[in-house]
Amino acid sequence: MAIVTGKKNQWRVWATHAFLWALLAVMLFPLLAVVSISLRPGNFSTGALIPTEISLEHWKLALGFSYVGSDGKEVTPPFPVLLWLWNSIKVATISAVLIVALSTTAAYAFARFKFKYKSSLLNGMLLLEMFPRVLALVAIFAIFERLGAHFPWLGIETHASVIVAYLGGVATHIWTIKGYFETIPQEIEENARVDGATHWQTFYRVLLPMAVPILMVVFVLAFIGTIIEYPIASILLREEQNLTLAVGSKYYLADQKYLWGDFAAAAVLSGLPITLVFLAAQKWIVSGLTSGGVKG
Amino acid sequence: MAGVKLANVQKSFADVHVLKDINLQINDGEFVVFVGPSGCGKSTLLRTIAGLEEITSGTLHIGTELVNDVPPSDRGVAMVFQSYALYPHMNLFDNMAFGLQLAKVPKDEIAKLVHSAAKTLNIDHLLDRKPKALSGGQRQRVAIGRAIVRKPDVFLFDEPLSNLDTELRVRMRYEFAKLHEDLKTTMIYVTHDQVEAMTLADRIVVLRDGRIEQVGTPMELYENPVNEFVAGFIGSPRMNFLKGEIANVQGDEASVKLTNGTTVNAKISSPASSSIAQVNLGVRPENIRIDNQSKSVACPVKFVESLGSQTQIYCEMPGMEELLTVVVNGTVRVKAGDIVPLAWNSDDCYVFGADGKALTQRTTQAMRAAA
Repeated sequence: MAIVTGKKNQWRVWATHAFLWALLAVMLFPLLAVVSISLRPGNFSTGALIPTEISLEHWKLALGFSYVGSDGKEVTPPFPVLLWLWNSIKVATISAVLIVALSTTAAYAFARFKFKYKSSLLNGMLLLEMFPRVLALVAIFAIFERLGAHFPWLGIETHASVIVAYLGGVATHIWTIKGYFETIPQEIEENARVDGATHWQTFYRVLLPMAVPILMVVFVLAFIGTIIEYPIASILLREEQNLTLAVGSKYYLADQKYLWGDFAAAAVLSGLPITLVFLAAQKWIVSGLTSGGVKG
Repeated sequence: MAGVKLANVQKSFADVHVLKDINLQINDGEFVVFVGPSGCGKSTLLRTIAGLEEITSGTLHIGTELVNDVPPSDRGVAMVFQSYALYPHMNLFDNMAFGLQLAKVPKDEIAKLVHSAAKTLNIDHLLDRKPKALSGGQRQRVAIGRAIVRKPDVFLFDEPLSNLDTELRVRMRYEFAKLHEDLKTTMIYVTHDQVEAMTLADRIVVLRDGRIEQVGTPMELYENPVNEFVAGFIGSPRMNFLKGEIANVQGDEASVKLTNGTTVNAKISSPASSSIAQVNLGVRPENIRIDNQSKSVACPVKFVESLGSQTQIYCEMPGMEELLTVVVNGTVRVKAGDIVPLAWNSDDCYVFGADGKALTQRTTQAMRAAA
């Protein structure tokens, strides 16, 4: 696909490279800084980007081990970071799976069925999601407190409540998947209908296999969106052993005592599941799954 | 095996009236071709038979059963789409087996059916490939194979050849004819290509603007079109139409005075026709010959298309707006600017009234054979 270009364009290539390097630096600097802080002894936010002395004290605390400080006293982990990490992964995985399930089925209906008020519904959902979620915090708290009175498993301080609250944010995902479904030729599904497939079979056996890449994209987006979510989780979860990592990390930054080093170690740890999920999903995010089905 | 019967079928999408009062009886085992220009409703008609579109009003029977509200899979039909519509994520075997699997046919039975269909279509060595790895012609065969394995009562083909190149199209046309001969199943075939219609059909249904214009065997339509539209649509190159008015009628012989003043004789059969003044005279290009005789009209040649086996000559008839197309067998050495004498027999002329209806009824080959 390389188009022949004249020699004059050489400087543009250099300019592009310079720009990209600059962009890369801007993007990577915060991450490198956090890694660096987590490896420096002491809880200071400022210091050399490349640590002069490597210390694993923050990482030991984050991973739940004690260590003996320079003054000879044993320092015990102040917070259950690994438990928080596990809580985060649990909440994010279940939420993401449910979000994908809800938004694909809804998107199928919006993409393929004809019904009244379809476009009003679609636009209405998007409009509602444009309001900052923080505005609804009071309502969300009130709803789950009331629900908890009748269904204790869905009340405040339960992970189920956080997951259900997260399921409210599927509108953009529905739009994304609907857009993808609409690029898939309808004849393929019509043929499945003539072949004797029900709506569900058409959806499950014909449409979904062709839509795997977009489902993976939505899963990753939903996973990231829920694992880093702070406001809702912070009002629904208060007790230490229930917290997600995003909420718990804040505890390192108490009013009078900023434990930047411990905080940085926990922050790096919280990026780990996202990276793993993305790497796992990446091999499914490929193009060309629908090619060959119709004349192209 | 089943026939298809449509009675007073109407179909509208919101305000758009797509099918208007369709009445049609398709016999068991017949090969019927729906033909017409784009947007005439032929594909919609096929889709209503398949059950992919609901009928707004009227009745549709397949066999003896009323199927207005029967879902596509229970109608006993199989459809081949213009775009093939293969399942891209399944290999060929699964593509063809999908319908049978849904119908819970035993596995060894499915394997037998798929392999035999694949063998007939010459794709049995490709069964574990995905559609992506096939050529257009092979994909087309898979789409047909997928229809065959279901042993339907009625095959529905929606412009199945329009995506293939010319050579392949001719070969597949022959295979469709052979398929029908082997299976003897009712087939309904939609095309906009009148050559496909003429070569494949037992009967052709010509549609225009959602209405059936004429139903008949290819030769009936060719020899006895009911109106100007059918006359122009069937036959390639299309029939020449020359404006004129009826000057005089004697028995079944009318003299038509063309707009340039020339008088031409033609057969007409409607007795009421003497009152119709404005007419169109129709002559097929293949019925016009280059011939030097007393009645010949000298026409300058505008341009020439030499196809080797035949030559198409487009001439300007003096004083007439319309170009006159002439088809001559073999290669004829004429070039643009030449003047050629053209002549035709009055028996070969058609006369159409101002409303387009044919005033000429002639004995067709079929009628002659019956007599």
